[in-house]
Amino acid sequence: VKHMAATQDVKGKGEGGDQNFDYMFKLLIIGNSSVGKTSFLFRYADDAFTSAFVSTVGIDFKVKTVYKNDKRIKLQIWDTAGQERYRTITTAYYRGAMGFILMYDITNEESFGAVQDWSTQIKTYSWDNAQVVLAGNKCDMEEERVVSVDSGRLLAEQLGFEFFETSAKDNINVKQTFERLVDLICEKMSESLDTDPAVTTGAPTAKLTDSAPPLQQPGCNC
Amino acid sequence: RPTCLHLRPPVVKPNDFIPLFNDCISAASSRTQEYLLFKDPEDKFHPSPDVFLMTYITQSVCLNLTDAFNCTAMTPEQRILLGADWVWAVLEKPTKNPRIQIAVQVLHLPEREDAEENAIAVEGCSESLQMAQIESSSKTTYERLVGFCTSIGKDCYALFLFFGKRNDKENIYGVLSNNFEAAIGKCNKIDRPFIENFFKGSRYLHTPSGMMQALMSKKEGDPLTLMIKFS
Repeated sequence: VKHMAATQDVKGKGEGGDQNFDYMFKLLIIGNSSVGKTSFLFRYADDAFTSAFVSTVGIDFKVKTVYKNDKRIKLQIWDTAGQERYRTITTAYYRGAMGFILMYDITNEESFGAVQDWSTQIKTYSWDNAQVVLAGNKCDMEEERVVSVDSGRLLAEQLGFEFFETSAKDNINVKQTFERLVDLICEKMSESLDTDPAVTTGAPTAKLTDSAPPLQQPGCNC
Repeated sequence: RPTCLHLRPPVVKPNDFIPLFNDCISAASSRTQEYLLFKDPEDKFHPSPDVFLMTYITQSVCLNLTDAFNCTAMTPEQRILLGADWVWAVLEKPTKNPRIQIAVQVLHLPEREDAEENAIAVEGCSESLQMAQIESSSKTTYERLVGFCTSIGKDCYALFLFFGKRNDKENIYGVLSNNFEAAIGKCNKIDRPFIENFFKGSRYLHTPSGMMQALMSKKEGDPLTLMIKFS
């Protein structure tokens, strides 16, 4: 049985950046090429957007710290290349990921059709307990929509994932998607601790979960 | 976007980009050589890969090369993770997916390599760069580049680009191969002496356009190793 693991109480040293954190979560953004994974991460980490498309080579990451119940959670967010030729290198990073944002483009049927395959990749290469949020990106492009909100929601239900429609361009549901994923990971960690305190190193006394936040409107409202 | 005096029409035939690529390399190499020729009384400066890269990109945009053959500069994190400073790609039409890739790692003269490492230490590594180093600490930078190319396949080449060699500090040379990983099977370590050793056995140095011709005419899946003089 594979367990959820969290890096805990790692106090780094050095001059650059804030090195102290209580937990570190490794997250991955996956999905077909050009659905907007890099833009989504840029919006979340740097609050920036550019419409120029640069296909990601291999893999990259950014770091962002969030606070939850007085705990500092460092998110190491991996941005993966969607193109098939990078599959060997990207799947190598699935191991140890605690959460995934599986992204498709609401204006691209093929990217939606590939969601099932991406889901299988997660099951094949990651922890059993990894949490997944399905994100239908580019919901600002309503006129070019080919995947309905209901289709997205239904597929997410079938796969057991949470669901949001998002727009990196208009900053819709970007933060919410990450926050929900962090909540899901915290809930899962708490469950694991309740059943088996040995699953995390250092046996923390603090639980991260509180009452689950009310579910957000998954649609874009645009 | 740089100011271009003569914006050329996009290239049409598969090999049409090669003379343009050659022009871009020529400009980038000349610019880099200005730095290589600089006699530094205190040995503090080293020509950054960015000097070469920025000149190359400026030219490639001017010559309208990028639709057929593009160049992606790596982020600082990717430079550590993948061992590449930039990646060139011959693009397939109309998908624009890469058909052939060349992942490039710049190597400085050993004494300048040390200067660069010190510079990084003095600057103070950002948190994410430290994380990237931890993620890839099990491999040398040479091995990371070879590992990255191998993970893609035989249509991805590793190019170690030497800004000066021990016996010729003012020119730019390269070793390109899609078969470096074969050395790992023979218990050889991929390190600097291993890469430099390729020059000892080879008398023939390709030109940049000769290199590109060889890549374009090679049978799919075949191994290919070349030495190139870029300046």
